[in-house]
Amino acid sequence: MRKLVRLALLVLLAVWAWRKLFGPSGSDERAGISYADGSAVVLEPGTPGFERLASITRAALRT
Amino acid sequence: MDAAKALAELMELSSQITAAVALDGEGSVLAVSSEDPAAAASLTASTLELVAAAEDLGADGGEVTRVEVELDEGAFFVVREGDRIVAATTGPKPTSGLVVYDLRTCVQAIEPAAPKRKRAPRKPKGEAAE
Repeated sequence: MRKLVRLALLVLLAVWAWRKLFGPSGSDERAGISYADGSAVVLEPGTPGFERLASITRAALRT
Repeated sequence: MDAAKALAELMELSSQITAAVALDGEGSVLAVSSEDPAAAASLTASTLELVAAAEDLGADGGEVTRVEVELDEGAFFVVREGDRIVAATTGPKPTSGLVVYDLRTCVQAIEPAAPKRKRAPRKPKGEAAE
């Protein structure tokens, strides 16, 4: 019985470690802008700039 | 190349693109992939809104050449070259480098409104040498 519990714990630990290391790392949402002068801006989700572009994009995707 | 032909080639070439529009510098539609006028108008409005928002987000409102917005439900790309803009929507997780390359190829293929090279008026021989 004790061996079985230990085996179950090991399996759970292995699954958790696998998902942590190789699993999907959450949302891949991002936005980037390039300008004629060569500069570029990357906007992270949660920032006001990103949310502004994301709402326009959602409207475009609905068409 | 004619804008409609360039856009048709883009739609044929890129399986990831779901809708596309080509605009001139003033925001007038040169060509659009959708046959539905409401959808075309909505995509055009979104494109102009995205470019305006991107210009606002720049350090000093500089001219935008490329905008990419990738969301879980899909992505929206805008590429601008001179006075021509091509925008496209895709499904989720597009190969963004490939989509931008296709859009750039399309925007470069569209003939500009004004001729690219204008012959400068000939100077009299005496003024030519400085």
